[in-house]
Amino acid sequence: MSQVEQVAPRVFVESSSALPLVSFSVSVPLGAAEDPDGQLGLTRLLAILLRRTAGGRTAQQLDVAVDGLGASLAVDVTQSTLSLSGSVIARNLPGVVELLADAIARPGFDEDELERAKRETLAELVESRDDDRTLAQRWFRRRLFQGHPAGRSVSGTPATLAAIDRPALLAQHARLITREQLHFAFAGALTPAQAAEIAASVSGLAPSGEARSSLPQEPPPQPGRRLVVVDKPERTQTQILIGCLGTHPHDADHLPLLVGNTVFGGTFTARMTRAIRSDRGWSYGAYSSLPSDRYRQSFSMWTFPRAEDAAPCVALELELLERWVAEGISQQELELAQRFLVESHAFSVDTASKRVGLELEQQLHQLPPRYYQSYTERIEAVTLSEVNAAIARRITPEDLLVTVVGTNDRLGPELRRAVARLAEAEVIPYTRD
Amino acid sequence: MSAQPTPAITAVGAPPPPTLLGGVAFGDQLRVKRWRLHNGLTLLGCLDTAAPVVSYHTWFRVGSRHEQVGKTGLAHLFEHLMFRETLHLPEGEFDRKLEEIGAENNAATWLDFTQYTISAPAARLPLVIELEAERMQHLVLREPQVQGEKSVVANERRFRVEDDVEGALSELLWATAFTRHSYRWPTIGWMQDIEGFTTEDCEAFYRTYYAPNNATLVVVGDFDEAQLLSLVTDCYGHLPAAALPLEDVYPEPPQGELRRLEVTKPTLTEKLLLGYHCPALGDVDHLPLSLLGEVLFGGRASRVVQRLVLQAELATDARIFVGTFKDPGLTEIFLSAREGHTAEELLAMLDEELERVQREPVTLEELERARARAELALLTSLETTDGKASTIGFYETVLGRPAAAFERLEALAQLGPSDLLRVARRWLPRDRRTLLLVRCSTEDGPGSTEAVEEPA
Repeated sequence: MSQVEQVAPRVFVESSSALPLVSFSVSVPLGAAEDPDGQLGLTRLLAILLRRTAGGRTAQQLDVAVDGLGASLAVDVTQSTLSLSGSVIARNLPGVVELLADAIARPGFDEDELERAKRETLAELVESRDDDRTLAQRWFRRRLFQGHPAGRSVSGTPATLAAIDRPALLAQHARLITREQLHFAFAGALTPAQAAEIAASVSGLAPSGEARSSLPQEPPPQPGRRLVVVDKPERTQTQILIGCLGTHPHDADHLPLLVGNTVFGGTFTARMTRAIRSDRGWSYGAYSSLPSDRYRQSFSMWTFPRAEDAAPCVALELELLERWVAEGISQQELELAQRFLVESHAFSVDTASKRVGLELEQQLHQLPPRYYQSYTERIEAVTLSEVNAAIARRITPEDLLVTVVGTNDRLGPELRRAVARLAEAEVIPYTRD
Repeated sequence: MSAQPTPAITAVGAPPPPTLLGGVAFGDQLRVKRWRLHNGLTLLGCLDTAAPVVSYHTWFRVGSRHEQVGKTGLAHLFEHLMFRETLHLPEGEFDRKLEEIGAENNAATWLDFTQYTISAPAARLPLVIELEAERMQHLVLREPQVQGEKSVVANERRFRVEDDVEGALSELLWATAFTRHSYRWPTIGWMQDIEGFTTEDCEAFYRTYYAPNNATLVVVGDFDEAQLLSLVTDCYGHLPAAALPLEDVYPEPPQGELRRLEVTKPTLTEKLLLGYHCPALGDVDHLPLSLLGEVLFGGRASRVVQRLVLQAELATDARIFVGTFKDPGLTEIFLSAREGHTAEELLAMLDEELERVQREPVTLEELERARARAELALLTSLETTDGKASTIGFYETVLGRPAAAFERLEALAQLGPSDLLRVARRWLPRDRRTLLLVRCSTEDGPGSTEAVEEPA
């Protein structure tokens, strides 16, 4: 198995001849958190316009060019990053490099295309209300990270999108897309020398400048138990997210909590799945997760029982959570979780593009050096007392957010009763932006 | 391990080793070899040493097409039960053992097949084979598990169908377009059928279909061939072949008329779903029809996306799926309107594009783009061992040709505008299709463009 090479500052590559395919990405460690308050959605629109106006071409010309090369070229914006990435049939790599260079350094930012992208975004916001899980995630994030950039909308709202114009795009481009911020990742049928040459040619066109991230690491605490019901008619089922703030990868107890989460809801045999799916048949899925980013992320439990089971399911989840925090996990559970995390890491590194992707994430999320290279050794070194201390310290059963997408008339009173010591309840129409 | 599965060898003497039946190239660098055990079990092996992992898939040639009216969803419910108790593994042990070795483990049921997938670190292949063989022969079906899993599947149905606009529409489309063939019911089954299953139903299904001569093992990754053959012989060789039932499927009579339905859903935008009967995956027309689908709907440069989504801004989404089934299925076209626009507007403009491809040939440039997209899609699907095993298993199970993905890729180069013109005229008849129009049940339906602002 080959290895990821760093061929220049912020340029990573792994050559592989397994398939005649090259995957690539150009990213900056700055994202939607950089949107001014009145212009939420600006960074996402910037990324879309890079893709659709590269080199002054029209969006249609670019779409025809990308498809004709046998390539994909997508944009992705999170609170902390902006990326252009895709794949291309190896023989057509030069064509994609030209498009990438034009996207990064020579976007046209055509006014009509900007307006079209804004209208498209508005339509997508309306369309997204069809998906109950998306609604649950949206309102969980907004309320959990209230007062922090992570709680704001990446896509923007009708009012903030209306406030975005071409000068705003140009200013954001100048601030975010600079030579010093560009990170490159390549995997597949190209040589390290080719990768270095491509990165140099693209970044050489970008202006110089250093932008400082405005993403604070610590979201403000949200005290008390809060219930948010996203009210949607005719629901036979509910989407439930329960959680609190989690950890930061730099925290000493991040990996211990990750091991604890694996026992609680990280696998198909974890406590949550057993109690909710296997023992009661209440939901098709029941999991907990502990994502990581450059800021303190969330801990959340996710399940989706039918409407009649929603209130007892919330009560059960709270009971499971309280027991987990009070009693911790056992030595046997610890060992199984460690084996699972260590052995399954093979599937995080089984292709060249995944290995390069982890290296890139390490850089963009500013993780400690050799974070993923030392991952399995550090998991194996975690002790039972460290896990139980991390659970007790980080998981806060009394400061908890419960988000439910369902039909409020049918569920609201029962849900309020199911959350003991409820401090605050809110009902949000699913049509709200 | 206290609950280690042990093959219950009852035959006198060791079973004979698998017979090598041949091999076929799988792309430029890999090869699929085919063996058969004396009991009819097919084994396909593809050595791929790019990473120290292995994917082990078990494909059964049974899906919802083999079910009967009143018992729909049985193949899918049974797939769920395969993760529970076996003779040598108490409840939960199957998954626990796989988690202990870091394996990824899943399953899927569709119209023509049921597929079980495990990917594991390469050194763990022996345990994976033992576990899969164990549940193929020693599954324990008890009332509590069956009842519990029925409840889980009912909840899966609420998630995928009842509370999902697209899921509900797709189910209704197939139930309207098909009147005779068993493709007319959904793989997940009708709710009343799910609720009515008994333990006896599940036992009968297991005995009937989960036999070695109704299964194919697909192994892709870094494995030792001699060890693989030895393990498969030891774990499966003693299983008896079963007398498989006659497949009792009726061909679908030609649809001679337009079928049109309107439904109301709690959505803010109108939707349009169209169904055209399409050729089976093995039909000579299937590939050109798929390529035509790419020209029309494949990516942002395609005709329908360009016109309806980007230029006219009538739709937020426009997609096509040309059914990839053993028997003739459906081509599904899905369109979602923007706020303030109607399903009728979508249909009128879509019909102009469909009539155009029936009237005049597509350009060579469009064909080239569609071919390039198809090549990219195949290559990206083959990056992992699991992706390769899925591709091999799918084409083996539906067509009997494990490398058919590459055969189709080569055949694409031979197709020209006249092929697409022919299939457009044959397979997209305006007067013999099924139309579903979705109206909004909320007050904020078409016409409402006012957004509610979130309070500060």
